[in-house]
Amino acid sequence: MKFFTDIWRSIFRGESLSTDKGKSELVFLNVWLHIHPAKVKKEHMRFKHTFYLGFITFFLFVILVTTGIALMCYYRPSTSQAYQDMKDLQFVVFLGPYLRAMHRWAAHGMVVCVFLHMCRVFYTGSYKRPRQFNWVVGVLLLLLTLGLSFTGYLLPWDQLAFWAITVGTNIGSYAPLVGGQLRELLLGGHSVGEGALLRFYVLHVAVLPSIVILLTIVHFWRVRKDGGLSRPIWKLKGRQPEQELVTIGAPAQPALRATAVSTSKTYGLMEVVTGKPIFETIAPDEEDDAVFAHPYAFFREAIALMATVTTIMATSLFFRAPLEELANPAKTPNPAKAPWYFLGLQELVSHSAFIGGVVAPALMVVALLAIPYFDRNPSRRPSDRKWAIGLFTVFVAANIALIIVGTFFRGPGWAFVPPWVHVVTGAE
Amino acid sequence: MKNRLPQIFFLLSFISLILLLWAIRQASTPSWKSYQRAFLQLEAQGEPNAAAKAAVLSTPLHIHQVMLTGLQRVDRCTTCHLGVDDPTMKNAPEPFRYHQGLGPHIASKFGCTICHGGQGLATTKGDAHGNVQFWDKPLLAREYIRASCGRCHKEGEVPGVPELTAGRHLFETQGCRGCHKLNGVGGSIGPDLSEEGASRRSPEWLERHFLAPNQVSAGSAMPNYHFSREQARDLTYYMLSLTSEDMGSYYSSVRLIPSAEYGRELFTQKNCIVCHSVGGAGAKAAPDLLGVTQRHSSEWLDEQLVNPQYVYPGSTMPEYDLETNARKALIAYMGTATSDDAQAILSHHTRPVSPGDVSIEAGKEEFARVGCAGCHGRELEGGLPNPNAQGGQVPSLLHISDDYTKDEILAIVRNGRAPPLENAKGPTPPLYMPAWKNVLSEEDIHQVVDFLWSRQQKAKDSW
Repeated sequence: MKFFTDIWRSIFRGESLSTDKGKSELVFLNVWLHIHPAKVKKEHMRFKHTFYLGFITFFLFVILVTTGIALMCYYRPSTSQAYQDMKDLQFVVFLGPYLRAMHRWAAHGMVVCVFLHMCRVFYTGSYKRPRQFNWVVGVLLLLLTLGLSFTGYLLPWDQLAFWAITVGTNIGSYAPLVGGQLRELLLGGHSVGEGALLRFYVLHVAVLPSIVILLTIVHFWRVRKDGGLSRPIWKLKGRQPEQELVTIGAPAQPALRATAVSTSKTYGLMEVVTGKPIFETIAPDEEDDAVFAHPYAFFREAIALMATVTTIMATSLFFRAPLEELANPAKTPNPAKAPWYFLGLQELVSHSAFIGGVVAPALMVVALLAIPYFDRNPSRRPSDRKWAIGLFTVFVAANIALIIVGTFFRGPGWAFVPPWVHVVTGAE
Repeated sequence: MKNRLPQIFFLLSFISLILLLWAIRQASTPSWKSYQRAFLQLEAQGEPNAAAKAAVLSTPLHIHQVMLTGLQRVDRCTTCHLGVDDPTMKNAPEPFRYHQGLGPHIASKFGCTICHGGQGLATTKGDAHGNVQFWDKPLLAREYIRASCGRCHKEGEVPGVPELTAGRHLFETQGCRGCHKLNGVGGSIGPDLSEEGASRRSPEWLERHFLAPNQVSAGSAMPNYHFSREQARDLTYYMLSLTSEDMGSYYSSVRLIPSAEYGRELFTQKNCIVCHSVGGAGAKAAPDLLGVTQRHSSEWLDEQLVNPQYVYPGSTMPEYDLETNARKALIAYMGTATSDDAQAILSHHTRPVSPGDVSIEAGKEEFARVGCAGCHGRELEGGLPNPNAQGGQVPSLLHISDDYTKDEILAIVRNGRAPPLENAKGPTPPLYMPAWKNVLSEEDIHQVVDFLWSRQQKAKDSW
């Protein structure tokens, strides 16, 4: 018996979870959990502060990696085999259609959640000092998510895939000087073909996921190092703007004094050292607001995980991923549409290829990246940020409106056709 | 905050477990398995004792598929249609019934979808039969299945499918190519028809379309040729057979079936009767062909057709450059040819004599082949309605020499022409004269115009 106890104890070395020390050690000693602090503020766990959108995005990514690896076992990235492999997944592979559907819905869900997560962070002003760079990392992750979704779009090699990518890469070729070459580099040729399929596959299963994983690690690490989550805005009442910021780690801030220690709390070396501590501490007057990460935070996160998984599983059970006809370069659907998240862009392109396809998206990305550096207003209170919130809301609303117009209101020849009017396409 | 969290967590985990089990259940009870079980029941009925019955019933269920690399398809139809090649299943209920009359077209070599249409890779009834979104080739209705013979047998007669031959003949003689391209040859006023049999168009649609093009697709430039129901059916058959899919060498080797009927057609076409005779009927310049298949082996005859000089040095017989199956067809016909038949061929025989006539005759053939006749009429009478063109119709070519010089006509044929408008503000007429210089050689164009001029004379003479 002792033999097995020894093995068990060698794996799980912390004390019993009933003690405070045990609860802390569960966090400290575990490679996966130690990204958490041992104690978390109650306010951070409130659903209405974050809607857990960051976690949900991450969990969707985990689902995508899992189902993606399973799908890779059945897929060969060549134009003569890809479509047949998709048909095999649809008709022969055990749970094949289910896997595909989960992968598809999780991918769409991730694009949506990453965008909503960005909106949440903006509206709560959580990109402000010291979190500026983490916002930049976040925007990069948004772009990578779009890239992953876009590269995955081509792989089924059906009509939808072929023409969405043809349209999507054509938009890219409007960039001055390098546009054409960029498109050629991406496609490995002048048109979407064997070369493009292989390149998109490599990007989709190796290159982009690796970068996403690396940046996600940075993103998480910085959340922790920037003092955990930002303070919910409803907690900001009656404070000075300076106090709203997490002061730690920010240059030119007075160092925390190590004198406020409570006798019942163990402090890390970093916190005792004078100068500029990196960790956020929980000030003694906030001790009552904090609880141990185990079980309060972990169970909430686990619930977010299970809710995400359950939603995707249920959706996939009832709504299967469609598969159109085999890609046919000679048969252009009218209208040929890009993936839905690029339809706003396509809508802009339909008005002006250069302004809509190059200038507007480039400005959008630059503006998003620059937000934390241009917005010098230290206050996070919505009442102090009317202009910023107004502008960002216009940006979000314009994006959504353009996507809705592109998706539902554009018919053959990109003519304005309301969705309730039925147009017979390709009529002889 | 009070500890409900574990409960919610375990509830959600439980729900996801249920969902997983549900998905697994759905995946492990596909409909093809029930078909296979029903088939095993059917087979077990015929077994004499319980042990044999049990052995049959315990046969493992699996997906059957025929990989047809030559036809670039994989057919899984036999996963449910388990009795297609089992004659004892002659009276079995569908989907297990034996497929009668397949002849050489066995399922393991041809699969099913090449003739029947449908989605070979699918394993559920709806998807396999192809009446689903995103599948171009649903199952063909029973009366149209024979049209698929033309997918491999692209030339000559197809035994048992007279519609196909008739449809092909109509297409080539009615001037359809004037507007429609087929395998690279033809005009561009109407759609290219090379893939017509592979596109999602129902046979019923095609047939209605041939009877009244404008009623099926509004605004179509295609004139109503007042085809009969049979002709519409023939053309529909031909359309359904059109596909530029790449058939493997095994399948394209039978693009021409070496039948005696086709041999007779060749015999007539190549004017064999001008030198040869059959049982005394015909010319005497070359050997009589009655019973020639008994005097010589078919290999010898074949060699004679390929290379007459090799068999008989100094022979005056020309080399006809016939493909293997055409030679086989000729030899098959020689086996059945009689003097009465030769007499019949002779009585229909008219042949141009002077070199000028040859050019006119070639022009006439060209006129029909590339499809001028489609609009201008086989007798050059014109008259197809062409709204808002001058006169409201395609011009007759019987009196063009009154209005144009030969050079002007040559230029019009070469470069094409938009018809002069009746009402300058009205809509563009649907039909126009295409440019032919990229389709026809200069020699061809001259021959066509020579043919037109020859008819001018006749028209004037008849006054």
